[in-house]
Amino acid sequence: MIQLFHVTKYYDGCLALSDISLRIEKGECVLLTGPSGAGKTTLLKLIFGAEHPDEGQILVQNRNIARLGGSDVPYHRRTMGYVLQDFKLLPQRTVSENVALPLIIRGLSSFESRRKVLEALRAVGMDHKLSTLASVLSAGEQQRVCIARAIVNSPIILLADEPTGNLDPQLTTEIAALFKAINTRGTTVMMATHNRQVVEQLNGRILRLDCGHLVSDQGAYT
Amino acid sequence: MKRLWYFIREAYTSLRTHQTSTLIGILTTAFTLTSFGIFLLLYHNVHNLLGQVQHTIQIIVYPKNDIESDKLRDLQQGLKADPAVDSLTFISKQDALTEFKEQFPEEVYLLEGLGESPFPASLILTMAAKTPTTDMIGNLVKRLQHHPDIDRVRYNRDWIERLTLIIAYMEFGALVVGSILALASVTIIAITVQLAFHTRQQEIEILRLIGATSLFISIPYLIEGAILGAAGGGMALGFLRGGFELFTHKTQGLSVFGGFSSALEFFPLPLSLILIAGGILLGCLGTLTTIYGSLRFRL
Repeated sequence: MIQLFHVTKYYDGCLALSDISLRIEKGECVLLTGPSGAGKTTLLKLIFGAEHPDEGQILVQNRNIARLGGSDVPYHRRTMGYVLQDFKLLPQRTVSENVALPLIIRGLSSFESRRKVLEALRAVGMDHKLSTLASVLSAGEQQRVCIARAIVNSPIILLADEPTGNLDPQLTTEIAALFKAINTRGTTVMMATHNRQVVEQLNGRILRLDCGHLVSDQGAYT
Repeated sequence: MKRLWYFIREAYTSLRTHQTSTLIGILTTAFTLTSFGIFLLLYHNVHNLLGQVQHTIQIIVYPKNDIESDKLRDLQQGLKADPAVDSLTFISKQDALTEFKEQFPEEVYLLEGLGESPFPASLILTMAAKTPTTDMIGNLVKRLQHHPDIDRVRYNRDWIERLTLIIAYMEFGALVVGSILALASVTIIAITVQLAFHTRQQEIEILRLIGATSLFISIPYLIEGAILGAAGGGMALGFLRGGFELFTHKTQGLSVFGGFSSALEFFPLPLSLILIAGGILLGCLGTLTTIYGSLRFRL
């Protein structure tokens, strides 16, 4: 599903990731942990195609992301969902409009789009707020809508960068449970998190990064 | 269909959200196109008037004195068939004599004792309204001068050349002024769209996050630019029409214009549509300038 071969990344000459090699299989739940600046977000961005590695190769579904042309990146991104800490919702749009955006980009019909939006919102327990503006939602609700938007296209990989970073422990438990449920349905989940509670709750493979180095890989496939 | 609706709605939302910059963009485009339109209107009318004046340009061809009637007929037919020639009048030696007598009755005594008419027969050619250029008339004259049945050719070369030069200057002026104004308009629209672009950075970032292509992100802005341009073009057309009506109304009957104002005409429909299309083109160019810089090299 995802393979990294000796991946190294620098930002303005500073090392962000150093010689990372790993393999993630379909349906795995991978938790990226480590202190701030360890390289968790960089690793996710590389897989997402938002950054290019300076050295090494990245294969996602046998496609070399390192060699992806600028015009191919959007199509690569459509195969995955991305959830961020700061939600990234359009505040003046309704919940359903926000969730429908990836489907509009793909050019789905209105009927199909409505069906998928409802399905995704049901999965995150937000189907009762279809017409509510995103700006009036609570933090937990906003993150649920973000997750719905990330899964509405039925992605094979779901990436999440500190998705519970802005949430209280109660909401963190709820959001972690959602990720667990999505992973149980067969989606590969890769999440960067500091949160011990999330790590314990998701009970996945733990990759620990420190200063750009992969220092431990617990539960890795051999 | 859903995508199209999305693009139109996005463009509309952006225009509504940034009302002030939208208004500035429309007014600037309108001002630019009005300035250009005034020049174009002037050029259009001068070109029309010159066409009419050129219609009165005549070339006088004197066939050889001893030309046979068959050859004279062939010569007339050949000249009538020339695309640069609008009409042809044959003045026989006798007609020329009659004309002289009519015009100078007191000088008739000069011709006494000369027998037949001393005046040569001639062919008077009038130029087609839109065709004459120095080259065309020059070529025609050259051909006629080398014709074996023609004695000589007379025409006012300076006058024709001056007219052609005026048209050429106006065309060049229209190109220069038009280019400068178009550049100004593109810049203003680019700034307007750039403003919309900056205020919607978060939205663009989200669209990138969920796999939108640069084209998908750009289309609402292109529509926005096209609407700005079309509105500016329409407004300019309105200004020009109003100004034109006012000008012709105020100058009607004024001796200083010598009836010139009644001969003026506004842009025909195709030219009016071209002006609006020009506005749309400027709007799209302005947007593309912004998009090219903002989206092309970003992942």
